[in-house]
Amino acid sequence: MSEAVVQHGAVARPVGGGAMRRLHLGTALAGGLILGFVAWYLSHHFLADTDDPEASNQVTSITMVGWAIGFMIGIGAFRGPWRWMLGKDQTHEDETFYAGKDQGIGRYFRFTTDHKVVGIQYLVVTMVLLAVGGTLAMMIRTDLITKDSRFLGPQTYNSVVGLHGLVMIIATIIMVTGPFGNFIVPIMIGARDMAFPRLNALSLWLIVAAIPVLLSAGFLGGIPTGWSGYAPLSDQAPPGMDAYLMTIIIFAISSAIAGANITTTILTMRARGMTWNRTPIFVWGTMASVGLAIPAFPMFMSAMVLLGVDRTAGAQFFVASAGGSPWLYANLFWIMGHPEVYVIVIPAVAALMEIAPVFARKPLFNYNAAVLAIVGIVGLSIMVWAHHMYASGWAPDLNGPFMLTTELISIPTGLLFLVVVGTIWRGRVWTTLPMLAVYAMLWNFIIGGITGIYLSDVPADYALHGSMFVTAHFHYTLMGAGLTGAIGALAYWFPKMTGRTLHKRAGFISFWLVQIGFNVTFIGMFAVGLAGQPRRVEHYASLFGVGNFVSTMGAYTIGIGMLVLLYAVVSSWRHGAIAISNPWGSKTLEWTVPNPIPLENFEVLPVVIADPYGYGEGDPALTGVGAGATPVTVGSGPPERTSVGSDGEST
Amino acid sequence: MSTSQLGDRARGWWQRRETRGIFAIWTVLTIALIAFGFVPSHIMGPPASPTMRAVEDTMTIFTIAAAPVAAIVWAIALYSLLRWRHRGDEIPTQDGPAIRSNGPATTVWLVLSSILCAFLLIWGLAEETAVARPATAANALVINVTGQQWVWTFSYPGQGNVESDQLYLPLNRPVVFHVTSKDVIHSFWIVQMGIKIDANPGESTETSVIPDRLGVFDIRCAELCGLLHADMETSAHVVNADDFARWVNANGGHV
Amino acid sequence: MTSVTIGSPDLHIEDPDVIGRRWRTGLLLLIVADGAFVASLIFSYLYLRGLNTEKAWLAAGQQTAAIWVAWLISGLLAVSALIFRWGQQGIQAGSERRLLTGATFALLVLIADAVIQVIQLVQFPFGIDTSAYSSTIYTMAGANLFHLLLTIFLGIAMVNRTRAHIYSDTSNWQVRLVGVWWTWIALAAIASALATSFIASPNH
Repeated sequence: MSEAVVQHGAVARPVGGGAMRRLHLGTALAGGLILGFVAWYLSHHFLADTDDPEASNQVTSITMVGWAIGFMIGIGAFRGPWRWMLGKDQTHEDETFYAGKDQGIGRYFRFTTDHKVVGIQYLVVTMVLLAVGGTLAMMIRTDLITKDSRFLGPQTYNSVVGLHGLVMIIATIIMVTGPFGNFIVPIMIGARDMAFPRLNALSLWLIVAAIPVLLSAGFLGGIPTGWSGYAPLSDQAPPGMDAYLMTIIIFAISSAIAGANITTTILTMRARGMTWNRTPIFVWGTMASVGLAIPAFPMFMSAMVLLGVDRTAGAQFFVASAGGSPWLYANLFWIMGHPEVYVIVIPAVAALMEIAPVFARKPLFNYNAAVLAIVGIVGLSIMVWAHHMYASGWAPDLNGPFMLTTELISIPTGLLFLVVVGTIWRGRVWTTLPMLAVYAMLWNFIIGGITGIYLSDVPADYALHGSMFVTAHFHYTLMGAGLTGAIGALAYWFPKMTGRTLHKRAGFISFWLVQIGFNVTFIGMFAVGLAGQPRRVEHYASLFGVGNFVSTMGAYTIGIGMLVLLYAVVSSWRHGAIAISNPWGSKTLEWTVPNPIPLENFEVLPVVIADPYGYGEGDPALTGVGAGATPVTVGSGPPERTSVGSDGEST
Repeated sequence: MSTSQLGDRARGWWQRRETRGIFAIWTVLTIALIAFGFVPSHIMGPPASPTMRAVEDTMTIFTIAAAPVAAIVWAIALYSLLRWRHRGDEIPTQDGPAIRSNGPATTVWLVLSSILCAFLLIWGLAEETAVARPATAANALVINVTGQQWVWTFSYPGQGNVESDQLYLPLNRPVVFHVTSKDVIHSFWIVQMGIKIDANPGESTETSVIPDRLGVFDIRCAELCGLLHADMETSAHVVNADDFARWVNANGGHV
Repeated sequence: MTSVTIGSPDLHIEDPDVIGRRWRTGLLLLIVADGAFVASLIFSYLYLRGLNTEKAWLAAGQQTAAIWVAWLISGLLAVSALIFRWGQQGIQAGSERRLLTGATFALLVLIADAVIQVIQLVQFPFGIDTSAYSSTIYTMAGANLFHLLLTIFLGIAMVNRTRAHIYSDTSNWQVRLVGVWWTWIALAAIASALATSFIASPNH
């Protein structure tokens, strides 16, 4: 990148990096396979001479730990800490190499610390996970197309349901804060990188290491428990369950690291003048999400550790006859599990709240209420977990109090609707793909919210718990609001992240296919749930035939729509029209940096003097100017259209 | 929305074009949603117990209560889209009005949502008390329910421990179920009666109901319990007291 | 206007103290995460103990762990944290020698502690599968050992880096943060020892 080169007075030739120069995804795979094989061979040799299921669980777990450690060694994740321990710190040249300077496309396959590279890597990982999870969803819906299709059979069906759940949970947790939290947020707050760039790369590569572990579950007897992994069913499950819990342990470590990193970045690295009431709402949403994940996921991890100890060492945490309790698992799981849905939804809705002012050309309505609503949801979300356990019999006397906390969440959630609709009101509704996503969210999330109110009601939940109604409800929130928000965010930030314009027509076609298909799928599912179809059944009574057929047709429509979106993204990324630096006329800082974005984002750090929502406030420099004007930056003239490189930075 | 930010036109806010437009859309949507409010209970089918009747009423009432709220959000969004839409690829040359907040609107919104929330809670607590009432009835029939992969077993301790894999219940007599499991978690669900409680290994949980309709109803397992989860279903037969006594005697018990 | 840009381009290299403050925030957040993990283990212990499912929290006639061992382990850990703190105050006063002495002795105590922890783990008078109590005790001991190993790594780093003359009275934020972490794991061990001192279930 020419600017950075000029700045440091250095020449673009290889310096620094040391052994890291030879490490990349290939060596990581090799390292993982080698250490995984060694771990398998040794554990198999010493342990697996019996038919004891514990022994095969031990072999599976040890092999996976070997794989993960080998993979992380192979990518070079431990090199930094190792050298630090020896007292041999990295030089500035090393750091520059790790940031991916002058490495072209290769830096996407390394332990690269530049937040923009990590953001793109997260985006690709998310898309891969969504594709896998979506394919599994298609298999589920195909099995359920008629009451007794036996397309998968009960064993495969249960596994596919579990895998779909876990893959999608991981995908949706990372889908906003991963790509956009990493790529966009640092620029949005006027920083040159994340607080801890190496931890950033670490969190990404841990997820990459976990993906093969997760997918291997399909070949190790599957996950017969659904994604919730309820004990003691998970105690007696095949070794696929070890893959499941190992995935979650690795993922929990990754999200704790990512959470600490992103939160610290936002807390300490905002540009001068960016006070809390000038901080963009998406930054608030991102911080709420990753901050909530910090205490939440370790609880899940501990549930997985206990489960792993049960399965490999014969512990009795969830075995009632030896003093264990399935309710211990359920509590640990849901103390994480309910905050987790807000971890998914809040940043997606916050992205849409960031989008709405830009395309309504109006300030964000009631900024303070938006912040309070996010804070309120986060605060309440850790006090509602037992509404998932009304019907468990765990503590019937607590059902009333948990109904209170759950229904209280409707107040801050309602405020979010007020903020969005107040922003749209009288706005110049510019119907681009991101704005359509805002509208779709208003539709879907209200349905998700109201059906959530039914389920918060204790007696109604007794009738509906464990039925397809619940499945439809949480898809309306996690997909209808969450995934829709992520697609809106992708459409909005695509020109900044890739330097290209997203294929408009394909984007619209995909939007309508996905949204119509989505509503058809899950309204059908609401109906069969009300009529009494349980979740996670492989065949069902003929009464539910029509609803399920409708759902399956809707699901295929979503599938086609997502393929169109994939086409739009891939083709636009490769040869879309070159985007100007601020195609939407937005006022947040990320649109002030040139395309492609230089290595450290800002040549000179900006000072913020107002919030980014001053639409219609009579600032001639900011209103009514054509695309591409970046009047917010005084001084360095951002070079426009200088490079056709699609990967952000060219040599 | 407040008058202060919408210019200094002489007419009151209720006379404006946009107010009327939104009101029209809101009215149509509200009526449609209220009408839709009766659909869920219709799909849930005729209730077979006071519990299920209470649940279906809840579904209807909650939908009706939510209707005007959902309708106003959609009405404002839809009206803004129809009236002020900007098409094309260029950034709109004019910004919208710089409305940053609106105290009265926010207050009204917060007060309304708090009232609705209080209503939901009070309704729910009253309903919860009501559906728990059969548990304390003096003449309650006690049935022990055991789940195991993948069958239900019912035993009647007060009737000489009669055991069956089909559930027989006398009409209009309160029933208390003590539910447990031999292996993993199952969930005991009588669909048309609106009751459900998990069967946990090592624990006994309780639920109760008054069956008030003759017929055969569906019992399904509502917690994924392994390979044949989908097949873990049986029937609940609600019969007259005489028929119930006959069934008990025929199975070697005594009433 | 949203922003203006001022300042000098040389800000690309940041002040170590700024980075130190940043790491302090990050470390505290990671401690929150680790704290949630430790808390859920303690919760598991107290919950299973209180529930006493099928009256099998303790197996019939089962021996229990000697409480004093857990207190010895957490006590030694606290002592090592205090020794490290003494060394840390040394470097803050400019004495690299005192930091080296403190870090070295703290590390040695920590290693001894880890050895005792391993001995405790292999010498428990019951198997992990004896009862819910046994399972939890083993797992909490294992978690503590994990803490100890992680901190031994940090201790070795402190000794190495002090010998490499990296720290001084003006540049020592890493030492202070290691001190914070060290104190935290001592507190975690004490909390676990306290919880596991209550063995018999209140629910008979």
